[in-house]
Amino acid sequence: MESVLRYWLLWPSVVHFLQQNSWAWPLSETLHFFGVNLLIGGVGLFDLRVMGLAKALPIRAVRKLLPWGVFGFILCVVTGLAFVTGLQANIPAHPYDVIMSDLWLQLKLVFMALAGLNLLAFYLTGMSRAVDDLGPGEDAPQLAKIIAGSSLFFWLMVIYFGRLIPDGL
Amino acid sequence: MWEFLASIENSAFPTWVRETSSIFGYYTVLASHTFGMAFLVGLSSVVAARALGLFPDMPLSPMQKFVPLIMVGFWVNLVSGLILISLSPKNFFTNWDFWLKMAAIVCAIVAARSLRASVFGGDPATIDKRPISASAKTSAVAMLAFWLVAVTAGRLTAYAGWVREETAVAVVVFTVVALVAHEVWVRVAAT
Repeated sequence: MESVLRYWLLWPSVVHFLQQNSWAWPLSETLHFFGVNLLIGGVGLFDLRVMGLAKALPIRAVRKLLPWGVFGFILCVVTGLAFVTGLQANIPAHPYDVIMSDLWLQLKLVFMALAGLNLLAFYLTGMSRAVDDLGPGEDAPQLAKIIAGSSLFFWLMVIYFGRLIPDGL
Repeated sequence: MWEFLASIENSAFPTWVRETSSIFGYYTVLASHTFGMAFLVGLSSVVAARALGLFPDMPLSPMQKFVPLIMVGFWVNLVSGLILISLSPKNFFTNWDFWLKMAAIVCAIVAARSLRASVFGGDPATIDKRPISASAKTSAVAMLAFWLVAVTAGRLTAYAGWVREETAVAVVVFTVVALVAHEVWVRVAAT
């Protein structure tokens, strides 16, 4: 298993690209931040509305922000994968060893998984459909509020532990 | 001047933040700066996008409720930013990239205030009935552009030399490609 992960986590072509193009690493960092802004602007604002802030906004309209949040998430995932698979362009360590030893990176991944499971719960419990028709001034069910609050909390924790990663290297 | 800055740098709190092994030192201040950015830039950008005609089904009036959160983001960023500067003021003050970031933030705040006055000002009952003015749209575009510059310059303060200019060009290319792709997407979806 370890040898498989060691093979999959290190991409020499990405390392080579990042080494040959000095702008590629800082560009990835900048786009990672753009992604965070889009994620909070899209998914975060949706969560806040479901939790009860700005209740006069109809959910169906706020839902249209979600593709922007998803785009932000994709930006973060792609650039995050560039940091992992191309890590050796920045520090002389194998990504597998970093994942196994950096507690903050592990916690970031755990909170990303929790955010994913939370999203799954939002759909599987029927809360997604339950909030869909909420018009201006209408309150979301309690469970939907809990899931939305958890979503915001999990994403903020992903950001927090993401910032701590260099401390664990 | 430099002695004064050095005295700030060597005072107790910045020294603790810089040198402590606790995660509640430097990295938590850095994370707070990112939280502030996410709420300030992320939420205000949605208001700007709405003013520019995206998400037309979303009424503007209730979006005023996000303004206090946007302000919290601003104050968190101001405080955490001042702490980060105090860790190494000379390095920041002699870095043109830092001044570019500061200028972009000031311009973005001015544009954001102008946008807020244009879309949320006047009779509250008419906010969702009146058309978005050209000046509001100009403020929205300016704010988004200045946030883009501020976030990019902020990230690049950690770098030195030509890599900053190269990265800035790469960010501009990415942004133009993303905007063109969005325009194509909208047109294809409309047909």
